[in-house]
This record gives sequence, structure tokens and C-alpha cells, in this order.
Amino acid sequence: MATLTQQLDRASARYLGQVEMHDSNEDRLNRLKEGDFITARICRLDPSIDKAPYFETYRVPYVKWMRVLDVLIHISEGLCVEYAHRWYCGVKKCGTCAVRVNGRETLSCWEPAQPDMVIEPLRHLPVVRDLIVDREPYERKVMELGPLLMRTQPYPGLPEYITDREMRAASYAMDCINCMACYSACPVLDLGTETNFSGPAPLVQLAQVALDPRDGLDRLSLIEHTASISECVSCYRCEEVCPAEIPIVSRVIEPLKALAFAISPANKKHQAAFLEIVRDRGRIDPSALVLKTQGLRALLSPVRALRLWMKGKISPSKTFLGWTIPGVEQVRRLFSAVKGA
Amino acid sequence: MKFAYYPGCSAQSTCKELNASLLVVAEKLGLELTEYASASCTGSREIRAVRPELFLALNARIMAMAERDNLPLMTVCNTCTLNFLDTQKRLEEDPEAKDRVNEVLKAEGLRYRGKCRVTHFLWMLLDDIGAERLRHMVVRPLKGLKLAAFYGCHIVRPPAHFQFFDSRNARSIETINSILGCESIDYSGRTECCGFHTAAANEKVAIKLTGRHIKSAKDGGAQAMVTPCPLCHTVLDTFQREMEREVKQKLNVPVLHLPQLVGLALGLAPEQLQLDRHMVPVALPL
Repeated sequence: MATLTQQLDRASARYLGQVEMHDSNEDRLNRLKEGDFITARICRLDPSIDKAPYFETYRVPYVKWMRVLDVLIHISEGLCVEYAHRWYCGVKKCGTCAVRVNGRETLSCWEPAQPDMVIEPLRHLPVVRDLIVDREPYERKVMELGPLLMRTQPYPGLPEYITDREMRAASYAMDCINCMACYSACPVLDLGTETNFSGPAPLVQLAQVALDPRDGLDRLSLIEHTASISECVSCYRCEEVCPAEIPIVSRVIEPLKALAFAISPANKKHQAAFLEIVRDRGRIDPSALVLKTQGLRALLSPVRALRLWMKGKISPSKTFLGWTIPGVEQVRRLFSAVKGA
Repeated sequence: MKFAYYPGCSAQSTCKELNASLLVVAEKLGLELTEYASASCTGSREIRAVRPELFLALNARIMAMAERDNLPLMTVCNTCTLNFLDTQKRLEEDPEAKDRVNEVLKAEGLRYRGKCRVTHFLWMLLDDIGAERLRHMVVRPLKGLKLAAFYGCHIVRPPAHFQFFDSRNARSIETINSILGCESIDYSGRTECCGFHTAAANEKVAIKLTGRHIKSAKDGGAQAMVTPCPLCHTVLDTFQREMEREVKQKLNVPVLHLPQLVGLALGLAPEQLQLDRHMVPVALPL
């Protein structure tokens, strides 16, 4: 049976843009033919000499099946021998060759070369030279999260029976190749020192053990404070660029939030308040949510609240009189009928 | 054209003008809408994360109501749209979860079959009304208006649902803008995140991130922004004063809901579309 997604007309407005821009892998492979020239604008920076990054443009003859990596190799082996870029396996395994091509993070070994390319290093990591970034900040964050399996039960020795079903939750994160594409794409990390959010990549490392059924360590503080998971904006930029196609938001970040909530609902005030409001009223009352989540802090901006009230954006009377949607009993029954998580 | 209409929490609380304008625009477009008064919240990002089974049941219940009436389900909120699509996908992939959900829904006299077409007002305009018909309905082309489309995340990402290699390629709002007769500007924030889902707990991230997007739209010459999502609207509109302090620049960019923009071109009066309910006053050069 065709799935719902397949039944949809590809011309639907939902896909508009990708039709003209030829988003599929096949389309991207077929943009060039042998004999064509590729224009590559490469970002250069040697922090010991240059004050700011600058661009150089090279023309590279296209050879069939050429990847972005092949273009970089062509440049660094002939046109600009001092050009620095890092790669090792060339087959999507080692995760060392991620760069930004036309503003999008990708593995240079796995991306078909395009007619016009701007190639830049990953963001949110210091540049060592040209396309090479220093992975130290990421590695430090991973160390802080201590992604080691901590058993509460003694190790039973080999063979240790565990089913695929039990391991499924942790298995998604295990596809990670540490390429840092998501770390570069995350918009929250744009805030630099103004955010404590660890970024997606370190959370993926944490999820490999935290979602493992054999793990017994209370990781609440690591998830909530060290990684500041509540600063994730759920924008799915990480999922969009992940070359291993890990559903980072839905299979890593959300399960970690669920884990923190299971350990201590009191610590996840926002989620607890949200659940309570939907159960009691059927729908979210934004003022009630802000009051319950932020507590007295919400009252610190009375001018703002007054402006919102005057525009009818909030209705305190409704909030305090405890309105509900018609038929809220049905929603409440659902809440009690669905057991556990 | 008949639709089951799901406004969601935001369009019935902080963005009441969205619901109001959608209803008058729907009438103008000749849509017959069925609303379910007992439809609950879809769980936003919160219930979805911490109680996934309950999340599936809440969404399946709403879709089952639309299925019972044999109607496609139309939303006006990106996050609700993604929640419905995610529920469909998860229940399609996991028949056991579907059985568990249906066990719970049975007590309410409902059954989720997974046959409901979920659409957003944005997609409906082009897929169901169609570009040609919409063009014929325009009585007041929005000539001279320079707009910045702000998509929001959950209508272009994740790729599992929308299959964009690069979500910046999305063109649906710009297509509608050109049908309505106005000009779309290109700017860096088009498909970026507004940060709404961290704002209830702490608005710092949303203000810092979104201030940059509005600034880039303003610097690109936008006279107004248009968004298909009430959550993005809440951040873009109500936090704009705080953002001005952040980017050290007067922004004052009015933010329209997509139905409001369509309504203007269809000849509806600003009062009918409740343009006066926004925090940033809407003054358009029309």
C-alpha cells in the first residue's frame, strides 16, 4: 500500500520550491556534464596572518561523478597548493570532511559538485586554517556530559541478551559520525557565550548512553543544566543537515527531555504546567502557562502585560475564572486512559 | 469546498485576529468549514516530548473526527500541522501504537484509520483553490507592497515530511504574494526559527534570534512581514519592542497573518481582518 506521503501530488504547495530548484539527489547529480567548468569560491583564512576570512575563486573542469571533495582536492593539489582542508575516508564514515556548500552543511565526500559553489568552513568552531576547524569546544562539551554507560545492575557477562526493541531508542543516536554538521547548523549556537545550550551533536553523544536501557545514572542535571536542553528551539535545522539522517529533534532531544521529565516532573516546570493546563482546560491558555512556568518573574513586566491586555492578546478574567473547551471531559478521559509515557 | 478546520490554541487566544480573519476569508473563498468545539490542543512541543503516547492519542482523536465526517483537515498553525503529520507517520510505521490509540478512542466512539488529508491554509490556497482561481478572486491587487515572507520551521522542516534538500528553497508564500500582486523581498531570515518554543519559559533566545531576522527583512526593504504561523507571529509582533533594544535599531515592521494578507487582496476591510489587534501598528502603503 502506498503511504500517505507517496499518495500526495508532488506538485502540492507543500513541496513548492524544491520542484524548481531540483532538490533530489538525482537532479543534483545531473546538473553538470563532462567538459563543463565548476566555479568554486573558497573561503580562506590563516588566523596567524589574516585579520578576516576572504574568498578566492577557482574554475575546475568537471569530471563525471565529481564530488565537492574532488573539487577541493583538485584545488589543493594543483591550483592552490597551500589550501587546507581535512578528509580521511571519503565514504561518509569518518565525519572529518564536513563543510558548508552554498550555506548548507554537508559532507564534501558525499555531495555532488554543483556548477557554482561557495565553500566555507563549519560555523561555531574556531578556524585553524581555511576549511579546517578546531573540534576542541565540541569535545570539551562531550566530556562534560560524560557519555559513558553507568550500570546499576552488575554486568551479567557474555552473552548479554538484549533485544533490538529495547535498544531502539538509543539506536538512532548511534548512527552519528561526529561530523559537526548539526553543530554548525544550530541557530541557538549563534548566540555564542549568551547561551548554555550544548548544541545538537553533544546531545546525540549523550543519547547513545542515556537512552540505553542498561544505563542507570541519574542524568537529570546533565540534561537540564550542563546541556541546557530547554534552549533547543525545535527548528529541525540539525535534522535537515545530518548526513546520517538521524532524526535529532524527535529521536534524540525529545526522548532526553522525556527522560528528564520522568526523573523529576518538578524540574520540568514548563512541561508539567503545559500538561496540567491541557488536561484541565482542553486547550492552552498562554497567560496561565507563562504564570505557571515563570512564576512571579512573569509579573515583572506589568507594562507589557497591560499592552497585551489592551490589544486583547491576553484575558486575565478568563485565565482566573478557569474556562474550559466544551467537551473537556473527553480530553480528560484521554489523559487518564493513556497510561505512562 | 469543505474542510474540517482546526484553529489550534494560539488562534483562539493570543492571535484571535488570525481565527477571525480566516473565517471571513474562508467565506469569501467559498469554503465550508466544520469546526470541532471539543478539539483539544495537539500537544505543541511539550506533550509531544514528555508523553508521546498521549500526544499520538490527542492528535489521532482530532483527525478521527475529521475522518468520521470524511473531510480534509485544515490548520492555520505550523506546529499543529507538523504534529498531525508526525502522528500520521508514527502510526503508519507502528501498527501496534495505532491499535493502542484506537483502543483509547473506542471509548469516545471514534476510530483513527489514517486516511485524513492534513493541509495548511497556505497549501490549501494553491492546492485546492488553485493559483488561477485565486488570481481571479483578487479585487484589490496589493501593488507596491514589499513583503518579507517568514515561513517558520515546522512547515518546511524536517525533511522526513517536506523533503527539502535545503528548506531555504521553499517558495509557496512568495508564489501567493505574486498572485496577490505584491513584491517579495529576499532576506536571510526567511526560513529561520522564531524561537517561540523556548519563549514561554525564557524569551531571551527568541528575542535575540528573531531580532536579527526582522532586522534583515527591514534592511532588505520590507514594509511588512507575512507568516503562516501564529506562533511566529506572536514572537515577531509582541516581542518586537524588546528586539529593537537588542539590535539597537528602530524596527517597527508590521507582521501580517497570511489570511489577513489574502483578505486585503480579496477586498475585505482592515477592520474585518482585525488588523488593529497587532502590537506593531499595521500601516501599509496601499
